[in-house]
Amino acid sequence: MSRARKKTGPGAVTVRMYNVGFGDSFLLTFPAADRPRRVLIDCGSHVSGPGPEPIGDVAGRIVRDVTGADGVPRIDVVIATHRHQDHVSGFQAPVWKDVHVKEVWMPWTEDPDDPDATEIREKQSGGATKLHAALRLAGAPDHLLDLVANCLTNEKAMTTLHEGFAGKPARLFLPRKGAERKAFSPASLPGVTVHPLGPSRDPDVIRDMDPPKGKGYLHLGTDRDGGSGRLPFRRRWALTPKELDATAAFAHLRLPETYRKAVDALGEDDDLAVAAALDAAVNGTSLMLIFEIGKAFLLFPGDAQWGTWNAALSDPASVALLKKTVFCKVGHHGSHNATPKEFVQKELGAFTAMVSTRPMTAWKLIPKKALMAALQAKSKAVVRSDRLSSVPSGFTKQGESWVETKIPV
Amino acid sequence: MTAPGAAYPRPPRRLLRVFATDPMRGDAAGNRITISVANEPLKPGPEGARLSVVDYDGGSGRYYEPVDLDAPALLMQEGLEPVESDPRFHQQMVYAVASKVLENFDAALGRTFRFKGGARLRLLPHAFRGVNAFYDPDLFAVLFGTFRADEENPGPNLPGQTVFTCLSHDIIAHEMTHALVHRLRPHYLEPSNRDVLAFHEGFADVVAIFQHFSFPEILTGAIQETRAHLASADTLVKLAQQFGCATGSGEALRSALDDASVADDPFGEKARKRDRLKRQQYETVTEPHERGSILVAAIFDAFFATYQARIRDLIRIATGGSGVLPEGDLHPDLVGRIAKEASKTAQNVLTMSIRAFDYLPPVDVTFGDFLRALVTADTELVPADDRGLRASMIEAFRIRGVYPDDVISLAQESLLWEDRSGEVPDLPVNLLRQQLVLSARAFDRYAPGRESDEDPTGPWAKALRHWAAENARPLDLVPGLPVALEGFHTVFRVSPDGQLLIELVARFVQAIQGAKDALPLRGGTTVIASSEGKVRYVVSKPLPSKRLRPEAHRAGERRAGLQAGFVGVADLADPSLAWGTARSLRRRRAQISFSAVNRAAWRGR
Repeated sequence: MSRARKKTGPGAVTVRMYNVGFGDSFLLTFPAADRPRRVLIDCGSHVSGPGPEPIGDVAGRIVRDVTGADGVPRIDVVIATHRHQDHVSGFQAPVWKDVHVKEVWMPWTEDPDDPDATEIREKQSGGATKLHAALRLAGAPDHLLDLVANCLTNEKAMTTLHEGFAGKPARLFLPRKGAERKAFSPASLPGVTVHPLGPSRDPDVIRDMDPPKGKGYLHLGTDRDGGSGRLPFRRRWALTPKELDATAAFAHLRLPETYRKAVDALGEDDDLAVAAALDAAVNGTSLMLIFEIGKAFLLFPGDAQWGTWNAALSDPASVALLKKTVFCKVGHHGSHNATPKEFVQKELGAFTAMVSTRPMTAWKLIPKKALMAALQAKSKAVVRSDRLSSVPSGFTKQGESWVETKIPV
Repeated sequence: MTAPGAAYPRPPRRLLRVFATDPMRGDAAGNRITISVANEPLKPGPEGARLSVVDYDGGSGRYYEPVDLDAPALLMQEGLEPVESDPRFHQQMVYAVASKVLENFDAALGRTFRFKGGARLRLLPHAFRGVNAFYDPDLFAVLFGTFRADEENPGPNLPGQTVFTCLSHDIIAHEMTHALVHRLRPHYLEPSNRDVLAFHEGFADVVAIFQHFSFPEILTGAIQETRAHLASADTLVKLAQQFGCATGSGEALRSALDDASVADDPFGEKARKRDRLKRQQYETVTEPHERGSILVAAIFDAFFATYQARIRDLIRIATGGSGVLPEGDLHPDLVGRIAKEASKTAQNVLTMSIRAFDYLPPVDVTFGDFLRALVTADTELVPADDRGLRASMIEAFRIRGVYPDDVISLAQESLLWEDRSGEVPDLPVNLLRQQLVLSARAFDRYAPGRESDEDPTGPWAKALRHWAAENARPLDLVPGLPVALEGFHTVFRVSPDGQLLIELVARFVQAIQGAKDALPLRGGTTVIASSEGKVRYVVSKPLPSKRLRPEAHRAGERRAGLQAGFVGVADLADPSLAWGTARSLRRRRAQISFSAVNRAAWRGR
């Protein structure tokens, strides 16, 4: 009997996407001979993009979903792809302390004993703290502050991942030194081979994880003048636009009001560029994994950006793997630079895709429409976490809370 | 105003004091030079015929009192004393350095540079708070940022000190060059291949660094200090690095230093390895600033080789042929002569680089095109390369693996643009006659307002467009597709041996618009003709079309493919495209800035 079961098996990996708003949380259930294995990838939500229920409640829901008949919640592997709030904030919830976990996987940049990793973390967190303080003092608009807040340390959540959970889980930092792009078969997941495609340890790619070097906020003092109207010169040199307009000798220097408004906005554009670069730097530390089981290849790129993708796409072995993708978690909530459109159009065959996202008033370009269209055109089915009212066939949903699909192995 | 008796002649030059190196790099003492610019009448601002300094500060919503450089108190003493605390000195410095850049372009291009429609370019010395400065085509202004150095990690600055990007000669010259390049080649802001934006950045650095080097006062101190290494690269490279620091090319110039260590054994393993690394850079680096610094480094190498050759005799004279300098300070005359050679060579490099512009295609430039334009322009003016500069340039580009498309070798003759004499009918010079007279007159006196070569509705413009449409195929323009006349200039140049060279240069552009948001595919041709209208060179970037010569069609297809690939990568590499608002994105696309904050994200492999 056991032989027969092994042959046909339960037959499928279940991928469940929780609706966390602007964030990520995926529960994978892998079939195995004795009992199914559970993998949780991320649990977080952006402050300015909550889902239908608060992230703490989603965490409680996940814990209930993984609780067995004996009343003990169990997850075999918890994965935090990177330390952005919208991927880890849910780990602040107290419910996790009772969850039995075997292993916690994080990108190598989280390794507390790796000096390179520590340097990158300190640069990123230090930069975020400084930039956030400077922007707040300067009265920067909310959408900008939120973008930076996402990169702040997220201390409480990271403590859970590094020290929390029941069952004394082992901590793995991927890819291990010298084992970049080397597939491994974790004992905790029988029958599953994991291909770590990122984050790279190549110094050239790591440089992408550096916040913009020697520029921008690294030179900004926290008492930046911006917006507060403080003058870099003595007051006697300053003229209000009215005063200048009233001086006939300066008539030729008058700037139209619309022109002045455009100049007034320049500082903000500059801040945005710095904030976006910092955000991308943290995304650059994202774990990018392919789970191989039977004939199924499931791609979870986290929020990996161009640096990681470019490295993977320049490596023929990785490209060959990526081509086999049958399931794809669309990176970075569908932004233009976390999934190369060209790759989707040229390299991918029939696949199922999930996008965890929601429209944001401030960031109209996420998810990127052209990319969504390309996915729709190329895939068997795409489901979006914010559009659960009617899901395509092949997906099961529970209200607005989650949606899942089965990928045959 | 007019006193009885004869009027005094107006002095041709105006002297203005500026900081020699960035005050933000410390070393403020003795850090000043005097720049000489044309003495045009100035209103408060200053506002002259081509530039208007408007000191509006978007960070505080205030203007700052404008300087009046025509005030007698300032005329008596070379402008205001360089100080950081007086915004009026900042305005003076921005005006002086920007004017110097304009003059360098005037002299090299052989015509009075003129902004579109005769408009004045605005310069805002304190436009916003931020560690940045940029040229913004929408606002038609160069905008400088102001920021406070960090208390704990101030970098090269004092903690908490207010730093003004407008007090850096190099930043002013760099951003100013962006504005001028945009005027000369508006389509060079479109990233149609990986060299285009890099060319913008690299060229801006070349102008900044070599204009800086052209002031001999700056060089004397450095030369005296490092007397023992007069002929080695150290002195000048370190100085150039210091200049390049502000604009980003500093790092790249280090490669020139490395050269010194392999100079003894140019064919050894070390030298081969170095050359391999250099070539690799050109193949792999894509971020525009970093790629641009490859161009800077190549031109610097050429400068350095020429400089070394030129001071060899001076060293021999000073050392009685031994090459070993005596103990103690160098003779100030020797220092002065060496500094003069260095600054003269710098001026030659600068002029040669700018002069190449008229020989560049209107769209989709590559470093290889620039090399070909450089060589062709220089050969036309100075047929015998007795200064050795041209050969040094070719060698420096070769070492960096910059090979133009479609040349069989890097010999000077094959690098020249193809001579098309006789293949295209003459330009309709009769119709252009009035135009020629106007240009000549404009060159006569400093009066840019009089030139009218930009009026696209004039009869001569019509005549030119008609001529291009008639001769589309030999000009590598697609027959039947609309042709835009992008510019037409008469160029007057005087060669070192006193010969006058007059040329007519016209640029034509065509476009195929793709998807709504996509970058259109553009083709275009620069035509260079003699003053009688005889066409000499046709510098083309054809669109793909079966109606063209087969080789032109193939070149067009290759370009189209490269553009499709490159534009996609450029977008992927820019994280701020995700977070921006429509307004900020449009602006971001248009701005070219000295400190692209997301530099790291661009790095290709």
